[in-house]
Amino acid sequence: MATISLMSSDDALVTVERAVAERSILIKNMLEDLGDSGEAIPIPNVNETVLKKVIEWCDHHKNDPPTAGDDDDNRRKTTDIDEWDQKFMQVDQEMLFEVILAANYLDIKALLDVGCKTVANMIKGKSPEEIRKTFNIQNDFTPEEEDQIRRENEWAEDR
Amino acid sequence: MSDLQDCVPSDSKAKDLATMTAANRTPLRDNEASESLAELAKLNVAPFLNKHNPRQYAPLRSEDGTSVPRPANAGYCYRHQPDSKCRRQADEHSMRQLQQELNTLPQDDQQGIAHVWSMFSAAPAKQRKLMLQGILAQCCFPQLSFISASVRELIRIDFLSALPPELSFKILRYLDTASLCRAAQVSHRWKMLADDDVVWHRMCEQHIRRKCNKCGWGLPLLDRKRLRESKREIELRASNWGNQASTDLVQGAPNGTCSVVELPNPGSKRKLDTEDHDHSCAMIKRHCISPAYRPEPDDDYYKTRYRPWKDVYRDRFVVGMNWKHRRCSVKVFRGHTDSVMCLQFEDNILMTGSYDATIKIWDMETGEELRTLRGHSAGIRCLQFDDTKLITGSLDRSIRVWNWRTGECISKYNGHSGAVIALHFDSTLLASASVDHTVKIWNFKDKSTFVLPHPEGVNGVKIDTASRTVLTACDDGAARLWDLDTKTCIRVFHNHIGAVQQVIPLPREIELENHLPDCENDHVSTSSQNGDAPVNILSPILEHKSLSSQPSSFGPSFDQDKDRLEPPRYIITSGVDATIRLWETNTGRCLRTFFGHLEGIWALSADTLRIASGGLDRMVKIWDPRIPTCQDTFEGHSASVNCIGLSDSRFITGGDDYQVRMYDFRA
Repeated sequence: MATISLMSSDDALVTVERAVAERSILIKNMLEDLGDSGEAIPIPNVNETVLKKVIEWCDHHKNDPPTAGDDDDNRRKTTDIDEWDQKFMQVDQEMLFEVILAANYLDIKALLDVGCKTVANMIKGKSPEEIRKTFNIQNDFTPEEEDQIRRENEWAEDR
Repeated sequence: MSDLQDCVPSDSKAKDLATMTAANRTPLRDNEASESLAELAKLNVAPFLNKHNPRQYAPLRSEDGTSVPRPANAGYCYRHQPDSKCRRQADEHSMRQLQQELNTLPQDDQQGIAHVWSMFSAAPAKQRKLMLQGILAQCCFPQLSFISASVRELIRIDFLSALPPELSFKILRYLDTASLCRAAQVSHRWKMLADDDVVWHRMCEQHIRRKCNKCGWGLPLLDRKRLRESKREIELRASNWGNQASTDLVQGAPNGTCSVVELPNPGSKRKLDTEDHDHSCAMIKRHCISPAYRPEPDDDYYKTRYRPWKDVYRDRFVVGMNWKHRRCSVKVFRGHTDSVMCLQFEDNILMTGSYDATIKIWDMETGEELRTLRGHSAGIRCLQFDDTKLITGSLDRSIRVWNWRTGECISKYNGHSGAVIALHFDSTLLASASVDHTVKIWNFKDKSTFVLPHPEGVNGVKIDTASRTVLTACDDGAARLWDLDTKTCIRVFHNHIGAVQQVIPLPREIELENHLPDCENDHVSTSSQNGDAPVNILSPILEHKSLSSQPSSFGPSFDQDKDRLEPPRYIITSGVDATIRLWETNTGRCLRTFFGHLEGIWALSADTLRIASGGLDRMVKIWDPRIPTCQDTFEGHSASVNCIGLSDSRFITGGDDYQVRMYDFRA
């Protein structure tokens, strides 16, 4: 079982099975292009805590079949998330945010999908005010604007 | 970190903040001592601040410190660089409270606390973490409990504003219509993202002309060409949007301090958003005038092209909801003096044929009768019109071709020995069905004709141009599929009890696989084999043929010609036995029977979303081909319903009560 080392942004060394690390297309391409020199691969955009979290996900999903074409969500809008992933994503918003950015940077599409779906599920079914509360967003509309925008969007309510 | 300890002169080993401030208070009563404390603090704090954040420190020192260059700030976490949009900003309210509470303390305490705060504020990530660890280590349980409760409230991130736009769009694309519209009401920034064409183009793609499995209704009849053509444009927009917006944010972002005590500037965010908004507006305008998009002479094309996709989607959504909730207006066209037997409508023109031997042309919007065509010597049973001509079939056994714009009868054909009951034409062929037991195929180009013989009278006929086949409905209880190349019958659909009145193909892009468990997903399918493949929503349906390598079940002549498609996969028929049947053409099997009408069904129409039927029981019923039960019933005719026309937003019926009724589901 070949392992490689990754160097996080805060200079921590993380050892990981090569097959697991290669869930990241970025790392996979790097290894393919540069070969495994045995030296730690720097991951300058991800800190140790987040990197370990991401690796935990990759490890659990290491046997998943490769994802289909990059546009496979064209017609699937489903925000269903499998149970393990749901538990995995039960973290504070900061960690969720970091995981999404890391998945995007490391090019792990399936993890990025799960992260974005998790945020989408936090938005779904909520009123504008509830959304503001959830994400601590200030309402920067004037009462007049707010009223007008509410009327503009009334059609979408199933009535 | 020695700085931190030194700046707490009285008791650096204080167990917690409370005791610390209490301990400080006594000596501070003394004015002199307090001054010296301030001095001391300044002395110790200043170098720390200066080292880590000169700009932050500047106001303490002098007003001219603004020219100090920004430090590299290498210690911040990467997303705090180069802009600060994801940095938490304390909200105005809590800052005010903090300020008020601070004001109740003696001057020197205020000074001391402010120092602690500014020191923390100036510190790089690593130092901050150490400071916090030190503070946490000193906290007792009530304080830890306070922290725990506060932190839960504090770690709330405005994902859509903090993430790069392409990720924000990705999140928004997972939302349903109602959630998207609520997201647009959250803030300026959210509105900008959630209303964007990038999101709604995708929504339209998912719904146009197909029934969405998720929400159960579809968006038919939208300009597919426009949707396809703008696909690239939208993809470009998504990536440009990213660049544009992030540049704006970098430029417009407040300075890169990571301070929690910094009082927010309430004006800055607003301003930023407005600028962004202007930018995206400007971008839309640029899109409009960009020479890269070939101008087309068609006015309508322009009109629809530059409508925001959200508006396009809304219009269709409203129509879908109106169908769902039966909200429609009814208009009655009166004028015929006998049963109305056939009709067709396109855009705003409706034509009806009647047993009173006339054809009437109506303006659907005003209800006005534009013209009455006379010439047939007996009742009209069938008609079809296109841009230039109208063709009618009559009980007088003749077929007439009209210039409907002038009302002139151009020609008359007497090829049948019995009443002409049904007709259908495409660009080169006309098929006519008659009680004389034949279907006659007329070639407009070479004037040739040939006959498809039937055992009994024929009630319905439909040409399928792409496969060069024709469907017929016969009094003998069978529907048939004919190969026009070989002039032979290649399928018989026999299950109705009694005469088959109508036969029509379902649109090729319809997808029933997931809804018909008894329907085999075999490889000769002309529609997508994988229910999730994105291919055939918009792309011309017809690339699929090349995918199937197996020989056609319809015979070798379908394999020889690459341009020839297989016949429509599904067809529906209606009969005097009061049922509608759904058939699979390649197996000839009846997949489903729709029960609900009480008497014979004379009228049948279908699109990708629904089937509409009408009959002797005076009812119009709406069906979903995916669902066996009737979706809706409309009553209104006082006698048999003889014909029905269906569009995405309307249906029109003609009956034995001489009436034509239009049910309009538009907003």
